[in-house]
This record gives sequence, C-alpha cells and structure tokens, in this order.
Amino acid sequence: MSVATPTMNRPHRWDVPFDSDMSDADVESLMSIPEIANVHAELFPAHIPLRGILRNDARLVSFQPGDIVCREGDYGNSAFLILSGAVRVAPGLPRELLGRQPVHKKGLFEALSQLWTNPRIPEVRDTERYRNIRTQSRGESGAATRIFLQDVPAVLDPTRTVTLPAGQIFGELAALGRVPRSATVFAATETRLLEIRWQGLREMRRYDPGWKRHIDENYRRNALRGVLQANPLFAGLTANDLQAVADQVKFRTYGSFDWHVSYKEMRERGVADEEPIIAAEGLVPDGIYLIRAGFARVSVRYGSAQRTLAYLGAGDQFGLDDTYESWITRKPSRRQNSLSGLGYVDVLRVPSQVLEKYVFPHLPAPPKRAPPVDRPIHDDAFAEWLVDERLINGTQMMLIDLDRCVRCDDCVKACASTHGGNPRFIRHGRTFDHWMVANACMHCRDPVCMIGCPTGAIHRHETAGVVVINDDTCIGCGTCANSCPYDNIRLVEIANPSGAPVVDDEGRPIVKATKCDLCVQQLGGPACARACPHDALRRVNASVLVEHEATTATGTRRP
Amino acid sequence: MRAVNRSSWPVWVGGLIAFTGLMVWYRLPQLSLSPAFTTGYILFGLIVFLALYSGRKRLSMLPVGKASVWLTLHLVGGLLALAIFWIHVRTIWPAGAIDQALAALFYGVCLSGVIGYGLQLWLPGRLAHAGREIIYERVPTEVASIRRQVEKAVLEAAGESGNDTLGNDYLQTMAWYFARPRFFWSHVFGGRRAENWMQRHLETIGRYLTDAERKHLTRIAELGAEKRRVDVQYALQGLLKRWTIFHVPLAAAMLGLAVWHLILVHVFAR
Repeated sequence: MSVATPTMNRPHRWDVPFDSDMSDADVESLMSIPEIANVHAELFPAHIPLRGILRNDARLVSFQPGDIVCREGDYGNSAFLILSGAVRVAPGLPRELLGRQPVHKKGLFEALSQLWTNPRIPEVRDTERYRNIRTQSRGESGAATRIFLQDVPAVLDPTRTVTLPAGQIFGELAALGRVPRSATVFAATETRLLEIRWQGLREMRRYDPGWKRHIDENYRRNALRGVLQANPLFAGLTANDLQAVADQVKFRTYGSFDWHVSYKEMRERGVADEEPIIAAEGLVPDGIYLIRAGFARVSVRYGSAQRTLAYLGAGDQFGLDDTYESWITRKPSRRQNSLSGLGYVDVLRVPSQVLEKYVFPHLPAPPKRAPPVDRPIHDDAFAEWLVDERLINGTQMMLIDLDRCVRCDDCVKACASTHGGNPRFIRHGRTFDHWMVANACMHCRDPVCMIGCPTGAIHRHETAGVVVINDDTCIGCGTCANSCPYDNIRLVEIANPSGAPVVDDEGRPIVKATKCDLCVQQLGGPACARACPHDALRRVNASVLVEHEATTATGTRRP
Repeated sequence: MRAVNRSSWPVWVGGLIAFTGLMVWYRLPQLSLSPAFTTGYILFGLIVFLALYSGRKRLSMLPVGKASVWLTLHLVGGLLALAIFWIHVRTIWPAGAIDQALAALFYGVCLSGVIGYGLQLWLPGRLAHAGREIIYERVPTEVASIRRQVEKAVLEAAGESGNDTLGNDYLQTMAWYFARPRFFWSHVFGGRRAENWMQRHLETIGRYLTDAERKHLTRIAELGAEKRRVDVQYALQGLLKRWTIFHVPLAAAMLGLAVWHLILVHVFAR
C-alpha cells in the first residue's frame, strides 16, 4: 500500500515571531523613540533589517506597579528597554515572594500511558500542530500571568535597590551572557517595556555601534555591581565604599565569546586549545580575580608543563591568599600559581591597593595556603582530563563506570521509552581509564548551543535550569548541533502519525534538533540513571568531580 | 576516583524476610497450617516477585525505584528462593515427572542466573581495559571498515611492487580472519590464540615479500591488532547479552509449570 508523502513549508527564522500581535504601526511608533531612532538602520543586512527585528524579535509589554518583570535566578532569554515609567532592581528577595512555580511533571497515568502511546516509528510528530502554532501569539515569559510584590516597602532593602528610568536597558546580562538573572526587577510605576529576545539583541549589538557601546557599558557596570554585591568579601562595605571599589575594578575578557568554534577546530586537528594567561605564577600579586563567566584553570609549573590544581567557574575567585599575605607581612611575595582562561572567560580584577584600603583591614585572615602538591600526578589525571576536554562545563554529565557497565543498554531503552521511542543520547563517548562520558547533553553551565539559535527554540527551562528544545519552534537549522562542542545534539528526520517521512515542497526531509532533556517532564528524574541495574551510570556535576579529584592547594575558594 | 558503593539495605531487608520466614516455619505446627502449602505459596510468591524484575525494565517511565535496588532484591530473593525450595521439597531432587521437570527448570534458572551474574561481575572490567570501546551493534560496521582498509593495503602493495604474493596470501588466509569476528572462546577466556595466529602468519608471509610490500604488511599487522580489539568486544559483549537467552525462557517455563503444579496440588489435595 502506498502512502502519500506529506509536505509542509520549510520553516524559517521569524516564522514564529516573538509576538504575533506586533503590528507595523507598533514598529513605526518604536522607530520614533530616541533609542531606536538613533540606530543606524542602514548598517543592518538586507535579510535582517531593523524593522524586521522589531517586528519579529520584540514585543511590547505593560506592567502595573509591583508587577514582577523578571525574577532573580531565572534563565531569561530577553532584555528590556524601558519605554515609559520606571522599574526597580532588587537583588536577594525571598524565593516565596517571587511565586516560583513547580516544574510540570507528567501524571502517573500520563507517564504509564507512554507504554501504549509511544509510536512504533521513531520521531513521529503531529504536523498539524506546527501549522496551528504559527497562528498563535507567542511569548516566553507568559505576559498574561503576572506575579506582583505585595507590601513593597516592607520587603525591600532601599540601600540595595536601584530605580531605572525610561530609556534604560536591563536584562541583557542574562540574555547575552547565558547566565541566570542576577536580580528581580519589578515595575515601580505603570511601565511600558520593549522586550527583545536575545537573538534580536545580538543583532542590534552586532550591527549598531551605539547599541553595542550602550549594552557593553551596561554589561560592565551591572556585572560589576552584581558580582561585588554577591561576594562575601565586599558584603560589609557601605554603599559609598562599594562604589569606590567598583570604580577601580578592572574588567577583562579573555578568549572568544564563541569559544566552542575554535575548540572544535582544535579538537579536529588533535592539538590542545591555547589558553591565555590571566595571572602568571612568580609575579607580584596585583589583586584578586573574580570569575564572572566562563572557566579558568589554576595551575602550577611542573616539569616542563603546567599541572592543573583546580578550575574556576563563575563566582569563584583567585589570588586572595597571595595578595593578603603580601599585605599582612609587608613583604613583596610572588604568586604561587597561574591562572589561565579556558575558552571564554569574564574576569574582574580588584587591585591590591583597593583591597588594602577597603577590605583587608576588616577581613579575618583567609585560610592559610595549603601545602604544596605532594601526591602523584596520576591521582590528578582524571581531573586534568576533564579540564582538558572542557567537560567541566557539564552540570549533568552522563558518567559511566565501564568496570560496572554490562553493556545491556537498559539506559538507552529507558530513554527511548520516555521519549517517544527514540533515545536522546548515545552510549558512546570520550573515555578515560574505566570512565566514559557518554554523548548525552550535559546541561552546561555555559550552554554555547544556545548561541545562534534563530528562534530561541533551545533555551534554559525557566525553573528547572536544564537546557531544553522547544520542538514547536525548532526549525531544524542545525545551529545548536553544530555549536555543541561535545556533539550531544542530533538532528532527526520527522514522520507524521501514519509513519510517512515529512518533507518540504522540494522533497527535502524536515528535521528537528533533539537531545537529552533530563526527563524534565517525567516522574522520578532521569530514566537512564534509574534504569541502570549496576549503578554504573550517573548524572554528575563535573565541578563536583573535579573538586574531589583536584588538590585544594590553590589559594582559591568559592565565596 | 572511587567507584560507587553498592546499596546494602536490600541485603538487610532480605535477611529480615529470611528470618521472618524461618520464624513462621518454626511456629507452623502451632498455627495448624500445612508446611508444604505454606512454603509452596511463599516460594510461588517469591518466584512471581523475581519475575517482576523483568517488568521493571519495561516501566522506566514510572518512579518504581532504581533498577539497581531491584537487581539486588532479585539476587537476594533468588538465593532465598533456593533455600525455601529445599525446605519445600525436603530433598535435592524430588520424585515424580512433573516435580522433576519443575526442579530441573528451577535449578536451570538458578544456575543460569548465577553464571550470568558472575559474567556481569567478571567481564565489564575486562571490556573496559580491552583497548577500545565499541557499541555491540556497530561491530559488523567496524569489521567491514577494517577489512576495506586491509584490502586497500593489499591492492597498494600489488600496485607498487608488481607482485601478487600478498594478494594471493590475503585471499588464501587473511581474508578468513578479516571476514568476521573470530576466536570467540579464546577471547572470552582471555587467550592469545588470535594474537599468535596473526603473528605466526605475518612471519610466514613476511619472508616472501619485498621491502615495499613489507611496509604494507606492517600496516596490515596494525589493522589485525585493531580487529583483535574489536573481536574481544564482540565476544565479551556477546556473552553478556546471550546468557539471558537461557535465563529468561527457563524462568518463564518454570513459572508456567509452577502454576500447573499449584493446580495439581489443589486438585489432588481434596
């Protein structure tokens, strides 16, 4: 029996606008406000015009006083331009005030029904649903459902809040840096905002020098304040002292924002990635280094190479004990270790003289420097390997103990049975001794797969924090799969419910990106780990592994 | 990095169940229950519980506990079933055709289970250090890839030297080795037959080759070693997958016969 081949239009960027209610009149109105009118529209390429960005990557949202615009800790994908009114930025609000919602989980019957509802053919999709979606209004933050702060004066510490007036941009830190929101923002008055999803923000920054300068200045200023306020070293400072410290902090970026590109190229060539030196061993300490984003390696000279002692991620700091010792003993000392960048890393340096003036006089002596490394280098080999392979990026790395794994593939079968009949990982990957890091999404701290997604289909789950792909808005362009440094995203050809492959008008198959979603909708957590009869498979945070493996003789600590 | 500690609580739970069972057995005369019926039903219940482990594998979407806990309970329950079986039949080998068939199946299930678990303890470590990790289903593709590279080397040797010595030898001898996985049992028991076979063969043909051909023979030797690593994976992973071919059908047959046994016992007990 022959089955007619179903066809559909090939999906494109802007097929699913950020808000389908945005009209040409809205766009024209926006073009008249100074922040947009000053944009050099002629610098934008023809296929990504400024008006197109405003029409498809932005939307207009209104808030009443007290309405929460974005919450601290959320993984937001958009930034906001204040058109009218004002908002207040409030870090450190209690979670219960922010109306955190639990992650939607399948019910027991819904979960069980997968036994008989899973199609016999893998990757079946209801293509009718895609057509319906394109006619619906879209929005990432659920504009219709608002959470508001009650009794605002009682819950706020006025010294720790900032009011942003019209014309200001906020939220770009999380949108561009792929980091959680650093503070809660709520409407101080009746407020109208232009919300720009990060794909549009990226284009604005790329093609307009004014927006680039503005965003970068905000980025530096806001990053600085957020990082300093969150660090216990500066917790006791008055607002004036904190500002004085902030004024003298040096902001540096090492490596490329798209570090995964060079990393993949170097892996293919079989050579190690180059690491820029941030602070060199043997030099006089010039302050402490705070890692704002990305990763850095702490190492010590050993033989003719560098031996890894630890790696640092966002929120970690380097060099406190060296700098403090130099101050307390009044004798010039030398750095005991080096700090180098792993891919892209944002670093803040607080100079020694600033620390000596504002911080050290009130600081209890930091932990003494741990004794020199005296254990065999082989004990550190596993951690060294994790750092070299950049696997430190993973927060949910699939680690398989090959000494225990009986290769039964129960993990693969469990994954398939919870994902429509097709597994979302491959039980194969990089190995070290008897450990294998399988090709499963690691839900990275720095998810570079999200860079370049034209529709924002791949995103952080707002509450669970895992990286997920919205199948409805994925256009199968493969950008995420190409960006993933670990080859953990697969493009699959989809079929309709009758099993026929879905193709476009030219007969080319329609594909969708798929990957491990950590069973975010399933009961009981990742099915793969629960299905392993020998406890050989675990989902682990690479940083926890490295902390166990690496020595602590680094002069580093997590604030 | 240290391996994960295996959970020990199922062992304690199993021990508690065993202790309770023995206490019940000790108190049976006072409870006026037939020991044979009681132990029979306990044994049947335990066998059904053991069979549920297979069901657990199909219910990965439900929060029904970790498979590792189920496996531990399966092992403890299996040992317990063996003890209750002996208490139930009061002998190692019962009389009567059906009972003997049931006992044979029971012992078969136990034996295959013990062997299977032994393989699961023994082989993963060997696989991990066999030099190369390969997914079992990809072995034919890997073998074909190696074979293509060997044949390419043979053709290049012939092209460069103008001799067909290596080509003839490939067709007569080496093609057998590279055609499919070989030396299955030698690899299972950690023997070196494959290595010795390849070494002996390379030495034999080597004396007839020119320097140009020997360069390609060296490449073929490397590919032979690669093929051997693939064969090791095929043999050990194959064994790990195949033992359940005996265990599961035997268990299913035993369960069916146990139901029949139960019916007969009730019919003839009246």
